[in-house]
This record gives sequence, C-alpha cells and structure tokens, in this order.
Amino acid sequence: MKEKVLTEHFGLENLYKIDVYQKQGGYRATEKALKKMKPEEILEEVKKANLRGRGGAGFPAGVKWSFVPDTDKPKYLCVNADEGEPGTFKDRYIMSHNPHMLIEGIIITSFCVGISVAFIYIRGEYEAIALRLEQAISEAYEKGFLGKNILESGFDLDVFVHRGAGAYICGEETALLESLEGKRGNPRLKPPFPASVGLFQCPTVINNVETISNISHIILNGAEWFIKQGLPKDGGTRIFGVSGMVKNPGIYELPLGTSLKDIIFKHAGGMKEGKKLKAVIPGGMSAPILTADEINIKMDFDSLVEANSMLGSAGIIVIDDKTSILDVLKVVTKFYSHESCGQCTPCRIGNSWINKIVKRIAEGKGKKEDIDSILRLASNIEGNTLCPLGDAAAMPILSITKKFRKELESHL
Amino acid sequence: MQEKTNEMIKIFIDKEPVDAEEGTTVLKAAERAGIHIPHLCYHPAFPPEGSCRMCLVEIEGFPKLELACSTVVKEEMKISTKSERVVEARKAVLEFLLAEHPLDCPICDKAGDCKLQDYYDEYGLFESQFKEAKEKREKKLKIGKSLILDQERCILCTRCVRFLKEVTKTQDLGVFHRGVHSSVNIYEGASVENNYSGNLAEICPVGAITDEDFRFKTRSWFLKEGESICPLCSRGCNILIEYHPGFSRFELPKRVYRIKARENPEVNGFWICDRGRYGYSYLDERRADQIIMNKKEGENELTCENISRHLGEKIKNLSSARKTSGIALILHTWLSNEELFLLHEIFKNDLKVEKIFFADLPDGEADGFLLTSEPSPNRRGAQEIGFDIKTVDLGALADGTDFLLAFGPFLSGLFSSKDLRGALDKIKTKVLFSSNSNELNSLFDVVIPVALIAEKEGSLTNVEGIVQGFQPVLEPPGESLPEWKVLSDLGKELGMDSKFYSEFTSPEAILSEMGKKIPFFKKKND
Amino acid sequence: MSPEFSEKTKKKIEEIVARYPQKEAAILPILHITQQEFGSISAEEEKLVARILGIKPISVRELVTFYTMFPKESLGKYHIQVCSNLSCSLLGAGNFVDYLVEKLGIKPGETTPDKKFTLSTVECLGACERAPCMMINFNYYGEMDPKKVDEILDGLK
Repeated sequence: MKEKVLTEHFGLENLYKIDVYQKQGGYRATEKALKKMKPEEILEEVKKANLRGRGGAGFPAGVKWSFVPDTDKPKYLCVNADEGEPGTFKDRYIMSHNPHMLIEGIIITSFCVGISVAFIYIRGEYEAIALRLEQAISEAYEKGFLGKNILESGFDLDVFVHRGAGAYICGEETALLESLEGKRGNPRLKPPFPASVGLFQCPTVINNVETISNISHIILNGAEWFIKQGLPKDGGTRIFGVSGMVKNPGIYELPLGTSLKDIIFKHAGGMKEGKKLKAVIPGGMSAPILTADEINIKMDFDSLVEANSMLGSAGIIVIDDKTSILDVLKVVTKFYSHESCGQCTPCRIGNSWINKIVKRIAEGKGKKEDIDSILRLASNIEGNTLCPLGDAAAMPILSITKKFRKELESHL
Repeated sequence: MQEKTNEMIKIFIDKEPVDAEEGTTVLKAAERAGIHIPHLCYHPAFPPEGSCRMCLVEIEGFPKLELACSTVVKEEMKISTKSERVVEARKAVLEFLLAEHPLDCPICDKAGDCKLQDYYDEYGLFESQFKEAKEKREKKLKIGKSLILDQERCILCTRCVRFLKEVTKTQDLGVFHRGVHSSVNIYEGASVENNYSGNLAEICPVGAITDEDFRFKTRSWFLKEGESICPLCSRGCNILIEYHPGFSRFELPKRVYRIKARENPEVNGFWICDRGRYGYSYLDERRADQIIMNKKEGENELTCENISRHLGEKIKNLSSARKTSGIALILHTWLSNEELFLLHEIFKNDLKVEKIFFADLPDGEADGFLLTSEPSPNRRGAQEIGFDIKTVDLGALADGTDFLLAFGPFLSGLFSSKDLRGALDKIKTKVLFSSNSNELNSLFDVVIPVALIAEKEGSLTNVEGIVQGFQPVLEPPGESLPEWKVLSDLGKELGMDSKFYSEFTSPEAILSEMGKKIPFFKKKND
Repeated sequence: MSPEFSEKTKKKIEEIVARYPQKEAAILPILHITQQEFGSISAEEEKLVARILGIKPISVRELVTFYTMFPKESLGKYHIQVCSNLSCSLLGAGNFVDYLVEKLGIKPGETTPDKKFTLSTVECLGACERAPCMMINFNYYGEMDPKKVDEILDGLK
C-alpha cells in the first residue's frame, strides 16, 4: 500500500498551527520516541528505513547520524532549508504547510543524536516562511515539545531559525556551516566531515528539510512500512517538483521509482497546449539533462545514476521544443557563474569563462571552436573543484552541449 | 635532548618508495623526498586552503584527483605526481588562472620570481584560448606604507588575507564580492600598518602585492642571495640578503636590494619584521672602507694589516709599566660571540681592565611578536660570556684613561658632540673600530674600518639563548676586516698563552674553545 | 550623522547574539535587521554592525558583498525581483522583464526617480511552479503576465 506520507494533510486549513497538527496525530511520534524509545533504537529504525538525503546527494541519513562521535563537546543539528537549486520548491511547501512535521523531525533527530541546539538555515528570500517557522517553534515551546526537560524525558532542545542572505552555495553543507558562523559562504575542505568537526568546530548533523520531515513517520509507522512506500534501498516517497512547460506544475509526492514519463504526462497533466517535449532536467538544474526519448526512466537514485543523470533534489524542469537550447545553456551558465563562491580556481574562472562564450554565441559572434571549448572547459571544472558546485555546474553544461550539439552549432 | 618524532611509514611517490612521517601530508612528504608538487595557495605557515587546485595528485584507490596539500599520507599509499591526468589537471588550472590574468609580465616587478610564470613554463606553454573580455579591476591600489596591490594579477590564493588574520591578527585585507568578481581589497581609509607588512609581498606567489622598497629598482634575476642573521634586534631572525653582484661596465648605487625572511621554526618561523626587512641601508651607506689616521706621532704608516702589532706594542708598553688601569674599552653587542669572547679573554681576564663600557643604540619597544626591545643582536651573548653590560659614563671613561679602544659607530648617538669631544680630548690615545662613518671618525686618532655581520663569519646569541652561526654574504668593503681577526692577532701579539691564540684561525675554532671554557657555549650535540 | 539602532532593536540584537556560542555568528540576522531599519548597508551601517560585534568593518564588507540581499545603495520603496532562472524564463520571464522595463522606464538594477520601484532580475526564487514569478519586497507573486502586473503595481501606493 503506497500512500502520501509528507503531503497527506497539506490541504487542511491551518495545518501550520499546532492544534490542527495535533488533531491529525501530530507530536505522537515525538511522544513515542522520547518516552518509549532509546536513542539507539531510533537510530536503528532510521538506518533500517534506508532514508536517503533529500537535498541532492542521497546519503543515508541514519548512517550520517552514526558518524557523530561520542564526545563531551556540544553537538548541533543544522536543517538545510536553503532551497536554491533551480526547479526545486518542495521544502517551501513543507515549511509553509506543515512546519510542525519538520519540528517533530528535529526533536527526534536531536534526541537520537544527543543534540541540544538545532538551527534551521533557511534561504533569505523565504522571509515569510521563516516567520511561520518561528511561530510554530514558539507554539512547540509553549506546549513543552521544545525547551527544557521535554515531555519529562530530561532532554533539552532549543531550535532557532537562521536566515541566509542570497547565496546558492550556502546550500552546500560546509558553506552552510561557514555562513551560519557568520562568514562568507565558502565551502570547507573535507575531511574533516561535519559529523566530527562541524558548526563551531563541534560534531554536527546536517539534513535537508524533507529528510528530517520523514523522521516522525518512520518512528510512528516503522522502517518496514517506510521502505514499502518506496524502494528497498531507497525508502519512502519523494516530493517531486514539476515546473516548466507542463499543464499542472506543482509538487507531487510519489513513491521513489515512479517513472518520469508518468510524472510529466499523468501527474502533471502533460505538456501545455500545443507544446512538444524536447528535454527534461530531472533533479534540479545540476542534474544532467535528459532528451525526450530518455524519459522512460524510474525516478530513484540508482536508476538515474545508471542513466548518467541524478535524482538530486527531484526538481523536474520540463523543456518544450520551441525553446532554444542556447537560451537554456545561457541561463544555466549564468546561474553557476553568478553563484560560484569564487574560492577555488576552476569554478571561479571556468564558469565565468563558459558563460562569456555562451553569451557571445547568443550575440551572434560564435566561433567554430566554441562548442569544443565549452566541453573542454566544463570537463576541466568537473572533478577538480573544492566543493560539489563545480560538478553541479559541469554536469548540466556537458550534457546539454553534448546532447544538443547540432542545435548549438546552428547558432555559430 | 631527543626530539620527539612521529613514526615513519612507507608510501610510494611516482612508484619510488618514500619514507613519510605519519600524519604528514602528501605535499610535505613529497618535499621531504625532494619532489616538488606545484602549489600556490598552500603556505607551510597556514592550514591547507585547497583553493588554487594546483597541487592535485593521483592517488591509487581515489576516483578523483586529490589535494597534496591536505591529504594525509597512509601506509602503502601510491601517489602519482606526474601522471598524464595530473599534468592535464595542472594545465587546466593554469589555463583558468591565466585566462583572467593580465599577462603584463614585461612590466611586472615579480617577473622572474613568479610562481605563475614558473608553472606556466613547466606545465603550460599552451596558446591562450581565452577570447573574451577580462574582468577589469584595480591595478595600483596602495594598501600599506610600501605595498601596492594589483587586483588583476591576483590569483586569490588569499595568503595575504590569511597572514593578516592569523599572524598579525589585524585583518586589514579581505575578499570582497564573489565568483569571478571576487577580489582582495582593503577598507577605504584603512591601510596595512603593522610591523610585518613586508611579509605580504614576500608570500604573494604572483605579482599582486609588490613592495615599493624593491619595485622597479632592479630585476630579481640579477640578484644573488645569501643566508644571514638580522642584527637589528636580539631576536636573531634568519634572513636572506639579496644583493647585486655588480656589472662590469657601470657602477650600482648599492649592493643590497632586498631582505627576505628565511624559515627557522625555532626563531622566527617564516617571518621577519619591517624594521629588519627595510632597515638594510646601513650595509651600503656611509661605509668605512679605509683606515683613517687623524693624528700622526711620527710612527710608521698604519694599515689594517699591521694594526694588531701596533696595538699590541702599545698595550705591552702599558703593561710593562703596570699602567693597564689606564686602558678603557667601549664595546657593543653587534660584536659576535667569538669577538666578545676574545675581548673578554684579553682585556678582562688577562689585562684585568676594569673600564669596560658598552655603547649600543638605546632600547626600543618590543612589538609582542618578533621585534625585541634590544636593538642589537648579541646582548645575551655578551652576558653569557661574562660581561656586565654597563652603558658608557663619559666621566668615568675619561678619568685616568690614556688608552681607549672603542668599537662601533653607536657612541655618537648616545651623547652630544660637545660632550663626546670633551671626554675624548682627555684621553691620550684612542682607537676606533667602526663599520660606518659618522662624527666619531674625527674624534679618534685612528679609525679602523670593520666588516658587518653580513660580511664576516661568527655566531650570535639571541634573546632566548639560541646560538646561531653566520657566514659572510658580502665582501667587506675596501680595507675593512672582521674584528675577530684583529683580536686573535692581538692576542698572539701580546704573547698571551700563545698555544691558545694560535689555534684561532677561524671563528669556528674560537667558538669551540669557548665551549670548553663556558658551558653555555658548549655545542648541544657535543 | 552615523546611524544608530533604537533601544528596542538593540535588545533584539542582544537576544539574537545570545543564541550563538560565538558572537560573530549573529552577523547575518543583524545585517537583516540593519537592512530593514536603514534600507541599505553602506559603509556607515557596516561600521555600526562591526562596532556591535566587536569586529572590523572590513569583515562586514566581506559578507555584505558576498550575499546578494544587502544593497549598498537604498532601494525603491518596492523592490521588484523577477526570477530569470530556467523555469521562469521557459514561461516568458524575459518578455515579462521587458514589459516591466518599459512600464517603469528603468533597467534591471535601477530605481525609478521617485524612489518608488527598484527592478532586479534574480536567480531562482524557489517558486518554479508559479513561473514566471517575482517578489515585491518579501511577497511572492506567480504566473505573471502584463495584465496581472499592472493590477499589482497599480495597487501599490
């Protein structure tokens, strides 16, 4: 039996208020976890659930938590709500419709890992949502789900909302930590990994909003149930965000492994009137592009890797045949050039260089060798940068340029 | 004392087995094995930054290229520093760096001394494919008393920013904006005004920060360098003296063009202060280069060669007349351990001279980091040898003195000319050994030109008691000669323990003899 | 005159600072408050924030120029930010910007002479399902077309 997990009650009026949330069974998972479970049991359950990170990288959450060393240092939880990957808007829905589901996840995660301070790092533009989160947090304090000695378990937790200020790179976990510490969002060298040396040099868990929002459901219904909502190695549902040239853009919570073709043509209503499918970006802008004949594919981490793309943030951007691929490439290259933090050489200069070439082509001043230059430069960025942004930029640039080379050459 | 060393493990670099210290990085292990891995942002003084991406190497079992600067070695690790993939990646990084670089090497002061140039020569030599407009930035931003920042040449290694954050903790420079618009910058109205600013030009791997003290005065490839010790305070910072060996066809205004820091973890780390860096004019200005005779007493012509015999005779006469109480000495602590030791042996131990004064520059203020309050390099040495560092008292000096041996040019800074003349006029015979000319030259009967620390051999004892040897970098000008030579000849001349003095053919021999007499100077590993 | 925070704001800042084990971590929240109170973050505001946190103004400048939400110059009363990223441009964000340029008589990055509107094009705002989308100050507007934007802008005083 597959069902909606995260978005089930999204239609409900005032779900963001704690009373309404509790009427739907809200905070029962917290009670169960804090009163009836040991941290080790929670960790075991989350590991068994094969909950993979929903931010993009798909790292199993339980495994990530288990990397946190046993120390006397304070430990932190950072919820990554810096949703900035183009084509992605699912976390916005979760936080604005059901902030308490996220807070519950934060409480249980913190209890499990032994954390007493959690920060929700939310992108600066989501100011209204940040306010909603803060209201929800203060409701949770009032009801005794946050603060000192929560539900008389002896467990203390404070949660703060921390707003970013306009920098895509801060969605990268170590850049997020730098930003949260009050610095420029320059990613850190790894190792050490945040689980051992993270926020304020202390062990830190960083998980995406959607990842954390699944926790209460796993606790209530168990790992086995959770796996049944998705795939054995990839438990649960995914909230797919569909945008671009479809009839019904929006979020669709579906089991992992749902076919991309079905998402576009069944769930999102197919192409807009008179438009034909040309290409799809399946997992946020960083995911390599798929052509119209590559969409018979299951939407889960492994299937997409097999197709040389990635599930990423599950933001699906649907491109129609009237759209010039050069325009797409221009938007893509401008974005990464604008969002490169500038710290490391290949990303700082490579992305700007490629964008300069693409702009020149768009101005009608393309040269024969430009396409090869783009491919060469993007390959030189790929794998050689300090953080994943280099690959995130190179992957779409390479795939677009390779798969639509003929069309691009027609502009030269 | 046994130094604590880490366990050694075996790794392979370019297929060759290499011993590496456990816990060290690939880059350090390679350097230890004599293999240079190119790098720009990495500097041994700071934690790895990993931003330039020049030091990427291939490590077996790792899918991506890894940073040599930050990857810690593991037993049996197999590293390639020259594989095709590595070379291609280096080329790629260089191509990126050069794309937005102005390539204004002909007018860049760093040319010839620039890592970007060196690496291009080694890994690049490709034709530029960059056909776009380069970013425009500030080309000549004055950021400190003698520092110029060229943002277009900057490769954003941020060594300068990190230096000011971690070493001086003044945070004068920062990175503004982001992406390709990122640039190192200074806050309006602010300036790098600390005593270590010169290190910025030195650690800049490219021509982004240049030093007005050096800029456009010569080209770096004309210069030679030699290792020395900075004498301008008692820290004893290890330095490199960069000098022009000269042209045959025209005369240069000076020999020394630049002082650089030389790494010594025990003394100065990687840095020197601006006082030491910029205060080198004494090496070339107003140098005494020939003997000056102001008073003739019908004697033979004095030369630097026969001066010890002349002085020896004078002293012998005083000694046989039991008038050694009429001898006075003015010393200073730019003299080496060996020279001070000889002075101590001859005058204090043997001749029992009591009037021994010191004339150094007045104490300054320590800066809390390297610069000490003592403006000379060997006060500690003088103390360990057994001198009581008494400043010159003109009254006591002149009282009953008829023979004065004075060393150094510093006396003139301590008293007015009138007072000096008044005191010295009372002394019958007075001889000065000095490296730099000043008003003292006219107040003594004979002035003998002597070598500076950069021009002779010896050792100094720094404020912390570390004894550091030095070798001559420059030729002593003209007739000038090192004091230790005159003094050991004088000892022989005086016939004092001829066996003892005849051993002294070098400062090294003197130091080894010192070790026998004074435990402090016994070599630690003897 | 150099800017100064009100007593109330100072209290709020103290509260924020107390959340973090290191004072500097409070800088982004404080910059948001500063931006709200003074409308821009010029050198004067940078110095004010630096003073509060006991850091150098250059450290504030490093952040202010890194993040996009702290303009140096004051913006218009209404800051119109039009998304120019992929989903929005697929659905005509480009034409929509052209329409605004014509309607307001300013180019992206400029402010109308009456200081009422500032127009910016920005990267993804995270509302792709409502493309083309824009923000006016902190309110989101989706499915934009000339008619809709006319209604919205005409409703703003």
